[in-house]
Amino acid sequence: MTNNTLTKEEIALAKHCLAFAQEEGAQKVRITLSKTLMNLIGVLNGEVDKTAHALDRSLQLQLFVDGKFGTFSSNRMEQDGLEDFIREAIGTVRMLQADACRDLPAPERLEKGATEGTELGLYDTEYESLTAEKRREMALRSMAWPREGLISEEGEYSDSIFDSLTIDSQGLYARHTETSFEIGYESTVEDKDGNHFSSYWWDATPRMEDLRLEGCAEKAYERAMAQIGPVDIPSGKYTLIVDSECASKLLTPVLNALGGFALQQKNSFLTDSLDKKLFPEELTILDAPRTPGDTGCRLFDSEGVATREMPIIEKGVVKTYFLNTYISRKMGLEPTVEDATRVKVLPTGGCKTQEDVLEKVKDGILVTGFNGGNSNPATGNFSYGIEGFLVKGGKKVHPVREMLITGNFLDLWNKLLVAAEDARPCLSKLIPTLAFADIDFSA
Amino acid sequence: MINPKSYYFDIFQVDTPVLDRLTEEGLRSGGSYCDLFFENTTYGSLLLRDGAVTSGGNHVDFGVGIRVLAGEKTGYAYSESTSWADMAACARAAAQIASAPVDVSPYGTRNPSRGEPNPAADRYPVREPWRGVPMSTFLPFLQKLEADIKRRDTRIVKIIVNLAFQVSDILMYNSSKEFKWDTRPMGSVSVSVVFQQGTQTENKSTSRSFRCGAEMLSDALIEEMASEVVKGIDDRFAARRPKGGQMPVVMGAGASGILLHEAMGHAFEADFNRKGTSIFADKMGQQICPRGIQIIDDGTLAGNRGSLNFDDEGIPGQKTYMVEDGVLTSYLHDRISAAHYGVRPTGNGRRESFRYAPLPRMRATYMESGNAKADDLIASVSKGIYVDEFSNGQVQIGEGDFTFYVKSGYLIENGRLTQPVKDINIIGNGPEALAAMEGVADDLAVDPGAWTCGKEQSVPVSCGIPTVLIRSLTVGGE
Repeated sequence: MTNNTLTKEEIALAKHCLAFAQEEGAQKVRITLSKTLMNLIGVLNGEVDKTAHALDRSLQLQLFVDGKFGTFSSNRMEQDGLEDFIREAIGTVRMLQADACRDLPAPERLEKGATEGTELGLYDTEYESLTAEKRREMALRSMAWPREGLISEEGEYSDSIFDSLTIDSQGLYARHTETSFEIGYESTVEDKDGNHFSSYWWDATPRMEDLRLEGCAEKAYERAMAQIGPVDIPSGKYTLIVDSECASKLLTPVLNALGGFALQQKNSFLTDSLDKKLFPEELTILDAPRTPGDTGCRLFDSEGVATREMPIIEKGVVKTYFLNTYISRKMGLEPTVEDATRVKVLPTGGCKTQEDVLEKVKDGILVTGFNGGNSNPATGNFSYGIEGFLVKGGKKVHPVREMLITGNFLDLWNKLLVAAEDARPCLSKLIPTLAFADIDFSA
Repeated sequence: MINPKSYYFDIFQVDTPVLDRLTEEGLRSGGSYCDLFFENTTYGSLLLRDGAVTSGGNHVDFGVGIRVLAGEKTGYAYSESTSWADMAACARAAAQIASAPVDVSPYGTRNPSRGEPNPAADRYPVREPWRGVPMSTFLPFLQKLEADIKRRDTRIVKIIVNLAFQVSDILMYNSSKEFKWDTRPMGSVSVSVVFQQGTQTENKSTSRSFRCGAEMLSDALIEEMASEVVKGIDDRFAARRPKGGQMPVVMGAGASGILLHEAMGHAFEADFNRKGTSIFADKMGQQICPRGIQIIDDGTLAGNRGSLNFDDEGIPGQKTYMVEDGVLTSYLHDRISAAHYGVRPTGNGRRESFRYAPLPRMRATYMESGNAKADDLIASVSKGIYVDEFSNGQVQIGEGDFTFYVKSGYLIENGRLTQPVKDINIIGNGPEALAAMEGVADDLAVDPGAWTCGKEQSVPVSCGIPTVLIRSLTVGGE
């Protein structure tokens, strides 16, 4: 650990603020201190076009005063200023209305094994060896510029250290430290008629040696070129195949519907769904938040509650809601964690790769990107713009665009045909290529 | 609100010699231009949920962003402290973009405007300040709004009212010795309501957002928002998905301005054109939509969410005609793109905060009224759709394909509004949609909602449009 992570002085300041808030009248306090250092190199058409350097610090306080609750934050780290800020914050909380459901989590639910921050192996000390020259070299190494038909190529290499510490007035001390290395390129190509087509590719990893720099821009270029020559196809029902890269669009609203906030506000299409079989037998979704070295893993949530491996949907049955302390008390249910951390959709349908899926379904539309759209959280109805490829005989035959898919999430997931095994580790949710039967496409 | 210069010097603990030294530090490696953006923002929020205001808070964000340009290349760094050591370190980090002297200067650095901000020209004067007032002052507004909504419909099961406000003190200085300062207020109220009818659940929401003080929290606003959020709920319950496909679309006045924002506004932002990616990159001076159409991006509307006394590069807020009489006449420029095209900046250099370098961004984007009547446009459609409530939109800049999500609307059958529809996405292509505008009504409305644009950074914007008829768009459906 270096000055790029939280220093002893900064941690001491957080502890001082905790004690000071209690002295000033807060019965319970939680503080999260965070620090992020980020460097970025931007590339435009083969040359470095921008650089950015950032250091962020933030101290967030959650105050429980006389049965009332408020959230406050500041990025000004001078002790005197923070004391004034806390004093004023406590005064503000006292003006709010009381809420008996506000409380810290029960102590036995708190994470106790995250005292160093590095327990999950997400902190790469190689970060400290990076220089400005090395960053430039890594950003430029990935480029594909120039290429036939390529009119613009923008890329970014970035790296960061994120370090956070959450402490509370009942003894919580939970730290999470991680590095991140990321490369991303976007290519725009032009066809012979002057039409433009764009696409992207990216990779990200907590360990520098795992970052796949080579081929990133090339892949973006290939994906853009593949979109040249879209054809119109008629509206109708087609088998929907969704690329792993964008499949979270179809799962995230389901996870949101299992969130306590939506459920408590009766704004969820999965109200009263716990332990009910609403999805097909073939569907199992896990949360696996404690896998060492795995992108996005966390040992604790924002309340300091220990995460745990658990099924979210198991053989079609809803197995959990996401309930923090407050919402669980409002709903009269046992608390869990406040959100899913590292979601994994287990394979079904006997396909490993996207090619296997195409071969299995034979005909349909492969969606490689979504263009806008939204869903209604209360009903589960959705409508999204898509781009992708018409599939015939197990092969991509030509690109399609300016199309829409429309449906309802419960109906969609009950038409699941395949979940492959090709989710990339850099994705925040491990969702593979999916296929669904008989989906409405408008064109 | 424009305070005396000394007010900003006190907040940021700087003076002119320090600022000069800092820009010199930024240009040490040979950059052509350096600017400084100091920001002190305080945020406040109150949340009413389940009948009580049980959550609230304050947040402080303070710092300085330092940008160094080497021609069109950008070096950027920021500091959350305004101590000399921290600022100088950031200036040196930003300076690394230049490895040798560059003599290409952004427009305006050659002819600097040294005029000081004029308080009399303030576009967002504040009568009742947000800062320095106890939060308890605002509680009755939230409670009254909730009570007013509740009494209007027995099917209401949940109401959330959220008040958010912020005040940003901004000081800008650059290597051409231009000083600009500003204090920007923003107040936003949003309401979300869940209704139950039998086994059916539906939600509705509305928002208001203005650059103004707490005087916005009036009884008139309560009446306006309460009536709006329950209006049309019967139709929402009765609404169905239409049969999808290509059809004429009549877009109601006001929020339908999202069409302009997504279908053309982003494509007119000059960074996309400078890089050659926009579908409008080679269309300057060409007719891109029917004669008689004017499309504007405006930073001068008093109290509007997208208005600015100065943009985030110190360029005065202004009204920019992007399309005049159907012809593309201007992109939206920041200093970099203005230098590239050899034109004046249009005051569109905006950023989310001191943490970000500015980019060309929209402000309030709208189309001027035409001569048609809204009812006549609807009557001219034998089979199509009318839409008037939206949640979000998106565009693919290169292809020009845009979408927006329709929360409610109606089928048009034989010139009349019939079956309510909801929850559908509409997709089209920007240049094609512009060219397919068959009628523009005389009822321009700028939507007062809390629109936020998310191009790399989040900035407040607004949008407006008169009722328009577009010959054909693709509508999602079953």
